[in-house]
Amino acid sequence: MTADGAPARSRAASPTPAQWMAARGWKPFAFQRKVWHALGAGRSGLLHATTGAGKTYAVWLGALARLAARRQDAAEAGADRAPPLTVLWLTPMRALAADTLRALMQPLPELAPTWTAGLRTGDTPSAQRGAQDRRLPTLLVTTPESLSLLLARADAHERLKSVRLVVVDEWHELMGNKRGVQAQLALARLSAWQPQLMVWGMSATLGNLEEALATLLPAPLLPRPDPVLVRGRVEKPMVVDVLLPARIERFAWAGHMGLSLLPQVVARLEAAATSLVFTNTRSQTERWYQALLEARPDWAGTLALHHGSLDAGVRTWVEAGLKAGTLRAVVCTSSLDLGVDFLPVEQVLQIGSPKGVARLLQRAGRSGHAPGRSARATLVPTHSLELLEAAAVRHAVAHGDIESRHTPRAPLDVLVQHLVTIALGGGFRPDELLAEVRRAPAYAELSDKAWQWALDFVRHGGDSLANYPDFRRVVPDEEGVWRMPDARLARRHRSNVGTIVSDAAMQVQYLKGTRLGSVEESFLTRLKPGDIFRFAGRLLALVRIENMTAWVRRAPAGAAALPRWNGGRLPISETLGHAMLEQLACAARGIYASPEMRCVRPLLALQAAWSALPTPGRLVAETLRTREGWHLFLYPFAGRVVHQGLAGLMAWRASHEMANTFSIAVNDYGLELLSARRIDWAALLPGMLGTEDTTVGALSEELLHSLNATEMARRRFRQIARVAGLIFQSHPGERRSNRQIQASASLYYDVFARYDPQNLLLAQARAELLSQELDATRLARTLAAMRAQTLTVCALERPTPLGLPLMVERFRERLSTENLGQRLLRMVQALEAAADGTAVPSAPPRANGRHKAAQ
Amino acid sequence: MAVPGAHRLEAAGLSLWLLPGRAVWWPAAGTLFVADLHFGKAATFRRAGLAVPEGTTADNLARLTHLLGSTGAHQLVFLGDLLHARSGRGDALWRALGDWRGAHAAVRMVLVRGNHDRHAGDPPAALGVAMVEEPWAPLPSAPLLGCHHPHRVAGNLVLAGHLHPTVKVWGGARDSLRLPCFVHTDGQLLLPAFGAFTGSAPTRWPQDAQCFAIADERVLEVPAARRGV
Repeated sequence: MTADGAPARSRAASPTPAQWMAARGWKPFAFQRKVWHALGAGRSGLLHATTGAGKTYAVWLGALARLAARRQDAAEAGADRAPPLTVLWLTPMRALAADTLRALMQPLPELAPTWTAGLRTGDTPSAQRGAQDRRLPTLLVTTPESLSLLLARADAHERLKSVRLVVVDEWHELMGNKRGVQAQLALARLSAWQPQLMVWGMSATLGNLEEALATLLPAPLLPRPDPVLVRGRVEKPMVVDVLLPARIERFAWAGHMGLSLLPQVVARLEAAATSLVFTNTRSQTERWYQALLEARPDWAGTLALHHGSLDAGVRTWVEAGLKAGTLRAVVCTSSLDLGVDFLPVEQVLQIGSPKGVARLLQRAGRSGHAPGRSARATLVPTHSLELLEAAAVRHAVAHGDIESRHTPRAPLDVLVQHLVTIALGGGFRPDELLAEVRRAPAYAELSDKAWQWALDFVRHGGDSLANYPDFRRVVPDEEGVWRMPDARLARRHRSNVGTIVSDAAMQVQYLKGTRLGSVEESFLTRLKPGDIFRFAGRLLALVRIENMTAWVRRAPAGAAALPRWNGGRLPISETLGHAMLEQLACAARGIYASPEMRCVRPLLALQAAWSALPTPGRLVAETLRTREGWHLFLYPFAGRVVHQGLAGLMAWRASHEMANTFSIAVNDYGLELLSARRIDWAALLPGMLGTEDTTVGALSEELLHSLNATEMARRRFRQIARVAGLIFQSHPGERRSNRQIQASASLYYDVFARYDPQNLLLAQARAELLSQELDATRLARTLAAMRAQTLTVCALERPTPLGLPLMVERFRERLSTENLGQRLLRMVQALEAAADGTAVPSAPPRANGRHKAAQ
Repeated sequence: MAVPGAHRLEAAGLSLWLLPGRAVWWPAAGTLFVADLHFGKAATFRRAGLAVPEGTTADNLARLTHLLGSTGAHQLVFLGDLLHARSGRGDALWRALGDWRGAHAAVRMVLVRGNHDRHAGDPPAALGVAMVEEPWAPLPSAPLLGCHHPHRVAGNLVLAGHLHPTVKVWGGARDSLRLPCFVHTDGQLLLPAFGAFTGSAPTRWPQDAQCFAIADERVLEVPAARRGV
């Protein structure tokens, strides 16, 4: 059998999956047999396991046994064509599709000799796509976006009705976002054409697997056998260890890049043949790559870096080097989180906070694929408090506390895009399509009003024709079938299907031509020609910016700026936050069970001596008077996103009591409010945490008032406008930069807000702002938890180890890096001197005593 | 006369008022300048299947009416890009503009052609708008030139549009706001786009440029230290 080619004919009876594996000396695991059995019975399901556990063969061999064997007769009877499209294999990343196809093709000659197989993604050459347009292969590996494009073809029904099985790989990556919603809508449509359609998801471990399964499956049209949740092979033993510094700094702050563990990291890399060094941000990747090369210049050529901003060519080279084993180590971001089955390494290091338990498990899963080897993740703290995080995450891994993910609920922008897609893909009758859309779990509770609005939007532009004269996009024909008659609009829609919106970025290119990748324009436009920055592992000097390209040349050594990309501010998960408070509770009882907790003990002891340790039962508030004004520090350990909302809310509520202005600082552990006027926080706080009957809805309203919500919603609107087809990305040959699109998105927001304020896309922007950026439900839970805690208010003489990092966050907003460094150094020296003076824990200064929060 | 919230600017020996209504008022010549109205842009978008609600044209005209009334100007100069695109031309637009023009028959109106006007074509002659090319001197005796594209002419103050200038104002604590603005550098005064449906691109203005942002019906100077990109 060949890809997209004529099937190789074989008259021998196909072996069973077990026989096929036995011929390779493999023995099926129990979970693989379980999946084969379920597939044999026509059931759908979700298979979850750590990576490298044999998930692919579990589903694929079972699928072939169920779907290929039956066709054998027809093939032998002399049908001279391969079976029609039967299996769709969805993968979240284009880059993985080719590897996936290769793996899936292996058993075909013996198990399904008549089958053809092919690939269809945005990267597929047009010649190959043309061949597929004549006839799709029996197995098609594709992405959610390319599947939507197939649905937008006028003959979609004819071509896709034969699909019997859809496999969604890495479902955990898709289920929480709009790409997953797009996949749900496609599945609802396919299952309308093939009521016996089987759907299988493959997922890493999540905290809510039943929900992950329910989210994947369209509501059945006909009774169907119960879906199954299959747990993969008993997980590889997972070892999480922590590199410990010889001594810790009692006053340390996030972002203080913490290269002090570099020698130990080098030693770890020396000890293994292949390693992945994960960081949280692209700038951290650049920094560590550089530091490692400086420490070991002889590693040049065997050390690489990989992040999403690098040119595709560079990334492909790195991936190939990892596969071939020619690279000793790759410093990378989440750009290498996926595709784990294909790039196993000996060990994984995580620089800085892993931010969440599932994230660490996923990354650790990249190591130890060989039989009998354990998956191993080594945490490298970049500041002292990350030792506490490390202890917490280790504990959570051991106890299986893993985060959950949830599907977005009824996003209108995705629905609008889908309506246009289906109008192109043969057209629709509204009643029939509504029933189908509601079978997608994300839209199960779609209201009639929202549905009608979406219909009006694609037909009239808005909910009244009068507001949008001359508009037309989708119109019903004489038979009541809604179609898109304008070929120009159809072309534009097809080239903009999808929900991925990239930040406005500029190419970075050498004057002599080599492309290095892309960097957010917001960073580049702040540079002047001649300024030096570090990117793609090189020192570069900006020459000029022209046509959305930053032209650079190699720079001699010099003080370099590091690009600060957006997205490096992922908050710690709720699970991890809880786990940290639990660790602190142990410390408060004097229990320091793990090496990392013993290591961070001096910091925690000082915190306890000067103030108190936050625990699950105790909310610690600290007040401090400095020349700057009156500070309040609060430590809910709820992650920076929730703290941002909480701080805004508290400032808002405090301003009701007394007119005041606040400066706000947040990190993952707590928040700081600085005010010019004195506030009696001890008296105010219990009331400010609110009453128990505060609903999420009321809280949301208050949040929108208290923050710069319009500006935030306007930014949020960019993705919505793009998905809903209001703005579009460049077509080949068009000179239209992403920047113009960005401006138009906020412009759309403004004209809607002014001339059509009832537009539901605006409402969606506010809802997404609340649910995703401010995480209002988590904030409500945090407030409830804070009310249940005992409030301890400590009046300080100087900032504590937990408080100082928050002050630093605030300085960062105002001061240049150089000033910041000098000023902080002086502060820390003063604090260390004070700490040494009070090293023996004395009675902590608690002028305000303890208060029980109002219930 | 005094317009609330306006900022007086002395340049090239002239006295000009920067109005919060996105216009420049030159009392000595009884002339009001506005730039970049982009009439017909929303209609252009709607015809291309992009949902932009109606109301921007009426809004533009109402704001012009207000400015003419509050200043008592007898000459109105459009500094380019009065019309957005050829596909935005249409009877509905001419009707709206014609009605409005009729209500201000005594005011002389001049359009300094901009890049969009060249593609969109001149407005109907019945509108009574005189068409001129840049640079255009409203008063031969005064060193002030009306243009669309920013440039410098020695010894003159050039009023121009085209760039749709905005400025990002830092409020501290991650709080920032992008506002339309006037930009004054040596010999050049840029006007914000007047049109209700016009965008802008973030720009870093030179340190020595004066930026006057329009915030809440007031024109306020934003010092370089408070400006971002």
